[in-house]
Amino acid sequence: MDFQFGEKEEQFRLEIREFVKENLPKGFIGNMFEEEHTDENWAFAMSIAQKLAKKKWLTISWPKEYGGMGASTWQKVVFAQEAGYWGIPGIGMGVSGTAWVGPSLMLFGTKEQQEKYIPLIAAGDPDGVWCTGYSEPDSGSDLASLQTTAKRVGDNYIINGQKVWTSCAHKARYIWLACRTQQNTEKKHQGLSLIIVDMKSKGLTLNPLKNFMGGHVFNELFFDDVKVPVENLVGVENNGWSQLMTALSFERGLALSAGGACVRILDELVEYAKETDRIDDPFVRQSLADLAIDIETLQILSFESAWKEDQKKIVIYEPSRDKALCDQLLEKVSRVGSDILGVYSQMDIMNKDPRWSKLKGSVEHVYYYCIGLAIAAGTTDTQRNIIANFGLQLPRSY
Amino acid sequence: MDFSLGVEQKLIQKSVREFFTKECPKDKVRELKETKSGFDSKMWKKLVKLGYLGLIFPEEYGGTEGEFLDLMIFMEELGRNITPCPFFTTVALCGIPIVKFGTDEQKKAILPKIIEKGHIWTLAQTEKKANNYSNEIELTADLSGDNYVLNGTKLFVPFANSAKQILVVARTQKGKDANHGITLFMVDAKTKGINIEVIPTAAKDCRCEIVFKDVKVPKENILGTKDKGWEIVDYIFQQASVLKAAEMSGGCQAVFDIIVNYTKERKQFNRSIASFQAIQHRLVDFMGRIEGLKFLVRKAACEISTGNSSARLNSMAKASANKIYHDLCYHSIVLHGAIGWTEEMDIGLYHLRTRSLLFDMGDVHFHKEKIADELQFHSPAFKEVYS
Ligand SMILES: Cc1cc2nc3c(=O)[nH]c(=O)nc-3n(C[C@H](O)[C@H](O)[C@H](O)COP(=O)(O)OP(=O)(O)OC[C@H]3O[C@@H](n4cnc5c(N)ncnc54)[C@H](O)[C@@H]3O)c2cc1C
Repeated sequence: MDFQFGEKEEQFRLEIREFVKENLPKGFIGNMFEEEHTDENWAFAMSIAQKLAKKKWLTISWPKEYGGMGASTWQKVVFAQEAGYWGIPGIGMGVSGTAWVGPSLMLFGTKEQQEKYIPLIAAGDPDGVWCTGYSEPDSGSDLASLQTTAKRVGDNYIINGQKVWTSCAHKARYIWLACRTQQNTEKKHQGLSLIIVDMKSKGLTLNPLKNFMGGHVFNELFFDDVKVPVENLVGVENNGWSQLMTALSFERGLALSAGGACVRILDELVEYAKETDRIDDPFVRQSLADLAIDIETLQILSFESAWKEDQKKIVIYEPSRDKALCDQLLEKVSRVGSDILGVYSQMDIMNKDPRWSKLKGSVEHVYYYCIGLAIAAGTTDTQRNIIANFGLQLPRSY
Repeated sequence: MDFSLGVEQKLIQKSVREFFTKECPKDKVRELKETKSGFDSKMWKKLVKLGYLGLIFPEEYGGTEGEFLDLMIFMEELGRNITPCPFFTTVALCGIPIVKFGTDEQKKAILPKIIEKGHIWTLAQTEKKANNYSNEIELTADLSGDNYVLNGTKLFVPFANSAKQILVVARTQKGKDANHGITLFMVDAKTKGINIEVIPTAAKDCRCEIVFKDVKVPKENILGTKDKGWEIVDYIFQQASVLKAAEMSGGCQAVFDIIVNYTKERKQFNRSIASFQAIQHRLVDFMGRIEGLKFLVRKAACEISTGNSSARLNSMAKASANKIYHDLCYHSIVLHGAIGWTEEMDIGLYHLRTRSLLFDMGDVHFHKEKIADELQFHSPAFKEVYS
C-alpha cells in the first residue's frame, strides 16, 4: 500500500504550477462552465488551450503518435488535480474534443477522419472545438430512446430532429452526434449511430438557452434535412450504442479535477476565515473540517479508480460512485462556503465586482453550477442506479 | 500509488478472519455479554500463542516487529467480527507508548509479559469532564518519599476489571497550561486503595469506574518524563484513533454485507426488496461512504507505517468512522424491518457498540477541531504560487 505520488509526478506538479504562474492572471480562480459565457472568456480559454497544446498537455492522455503526451496514469491524475485547483481554462476543446471525440476517433474512426479532426483538437485550433449531441427533449436519462434520425440517401445522410442542452454548441465547429439510423428495431439500443456534423451545415439552427443565473452554457439545435456525407459516420452503422458507451467511459476523471477545485475553494475559505476572524467561530471550524474530510475522501476514491484502470482491472461502477459523491461534495462546498461568506454569498455571478464578490465569486458560482453538474453527464440518481445494478448486483428497479 | 494490500497484510487478513470466525462466532459474542470478564480467556490465550500480541513489537522483546499496517488490518478484522477482547487496550493504548517512551528496563520487564503471557493492560484517562482534553485530568499524584500517592476517579476504563496493569494519566502539577503537569504511571491493578466497578453499558463491554484512594506507586513506575505526559497521551491518540477507526471500518464492512444480503433475499410484493429504488439508493450511498472510509483509514495507517504520521489524516479517519457507523447501523436495522429489531439478528450487536466506539479516541467534534487546527496552520498552494 502506498498513497503518495512519486517524485516524477511531484516534479510534474511543479512544472504545471510554473505554467500557471506564467500564464494565468495573479490569483485567478477558473470556474467550471464559465469559459463559454462570453467572447472575452472564450478568447482567453482558447489562448491557454494553444499554450497547453505546445506542451502537449492539452492532449496529455493521448498517445504520442496522435500528438498527445502519452502520459502515465499518475501524471494524468496530477494534471487533472492541478487543472481543477488552478481552474486552468481551455482544456476541454469544447465538450469534449480532448476527452472523448479524439480518443473515440482513434478507436473507431477512419484514417481520413483521424487525419482531418485529430490534429485540430491537439493543436487547440478553433476548428478543433466540439460539442456533444446526445440529449433530446424526450430522451435524457433514457438516452437510448433518442429519436433524431439520419436517413441514408445516396452518399449522404439526411438528418432530422432536435437536440437540447448541447453545451458549447455556440462555440463548436463540429458536433459529435448520436442519432438513429435504423427504425423499428427490437430494442431501443439498436439502430443507433455516431455521426460527425459540421456546425456550419445548412439546415442546422441553433437557439441559445440561458440558465436562470443568466449564463449561456447550453443550446438547443434543430436539424432540418441536414445533409452530411456518409464518410462522416464514425465506426459501424447501427452499432452506435456500444461506441457511445465507450465514449461515455472517457468522461471519467471529472471527479479528479472537481476534487482539485474543491481543495482550492477550501484553501481560499480557510484564508478568508482567517482574515475575517471567522476562523475562531467553532461552527466555522467544524464545517471547514467536515468539508476537508469529504474532499480527502473523494480524492482517495478517485485515485483508487485511476489505480484500478492503471492496473488494467475492470472498472465498472467506480466512475459512477465518484461522480455521485462529487455531485454531493460540490453542493456541500457551496453550502459551507456560503455560510462562511454570509451576507456576501448573495452576489450576482454574472457581474462579479471585486468590491462585493468575495473569493472572486467562486463560491456563488459553485452554489448555482453544482446543480447543473449534478444533472450533466447523467444525474446523481442515474449514477446510483448504475452502482446498484453493476456495483452491488441488485435487480433493476425500473 | 498502490491501493492493494501487501503480501503480509493479506496473510494477516485471511488468518485473523478465519481465527475470529472460528473462535468467536456471534453467539459467543452474545454469551460473552453476560459474563463478568466480557471476553473469552481461552481465545485470548490462543491469540497470545499465535503471537498476535507481539505483532508490531520489537523482536528483542519477543515481538515480530511487523508494520503498523499489519496492526491496522488486524483491527479491521477484529471490528468486522466485533470480537470482545482487551487487545486494543493492551496493544494500542499501552504497548505502543511503552515501546516509544519506556526505558529499556521497563520494556524488558513489561513487553515479554504482554507478548508471551498475555498480560492485560488498560489506559485510565477519562474523568468526569470526559472531553479528551488535558483539562479533564484531575486525578492527583503527589510525591511522598519514594512513592507517588494517587487520588481520584477514572471513568469508562475498558477491561480494567481484568487488567493486570493500568496506565494512569495523572496530574502532578497544576498550573495555567493544562497540558503541563501531567504524568503517566504504570500501576499494578491489585495495589491497595484501588477499587474497580463495572459500569452498566449497553454493549456490556466492561467499561469500568476506578476509584484511587491513597494508592502508592513507586516513582520508577513513571512512563516517560514527569509532567510531560500529555505528549504521550497525544502520541497514543494519534495512532489509536486510526486503529479504532480501522475497527469501525471493519464493522461497517460487515454490517454492509449483512444488509445487502438481507435485502437481496427478503421478498415483498413478489420481488426482492433490493429491487426497490428507495432501498438501492440508500445502499449505494453507504457503499461509497464505506469504501471512502476504508481507504481513508488505510491511508492514515500507511503514513504512520512509513514514519509520516499525519495528525490531519488520523483525525479524519476517526471522524469519518464516527460519521458513518451510527448512520449505517440505524438504516441497516430499519431496512431489515422488525426482524432487525430482535436479539436474534447480529446487526443489533453492532449497533449496541455504536456509542462506545464513537466516544473512544475522540468524538466527531473533537476530531474536527483537530482538523481545523491543521487547516488553520497549513500554507495553501495558491498563496505560494501567487505570492
Ligand atoms: C449543465 C449541463 C450541461 C449539459 N451538457 C450536455 C451536452 O453537452 N450534451 C448533451 O447531450 N446533454 C447535455 N446535458 C444534458 C444531460 O445529459 C441531461 O440533462 C441528463 O442526462 C438528464 O436528462 P434530463 O434533463 O432529460 O432529465 P430526465 O431524464 O427527465 O430526469 C428528470 C429527473 O428524473 C430522474 N430520473 C430519470 N430516470 C430515473 C430513474 N430510472 N430512476 C430514478 N430517477 C430517474 C432524474 O434523476 C432527474 O432527477 C447537459 C445538462 C446540463 C445540466
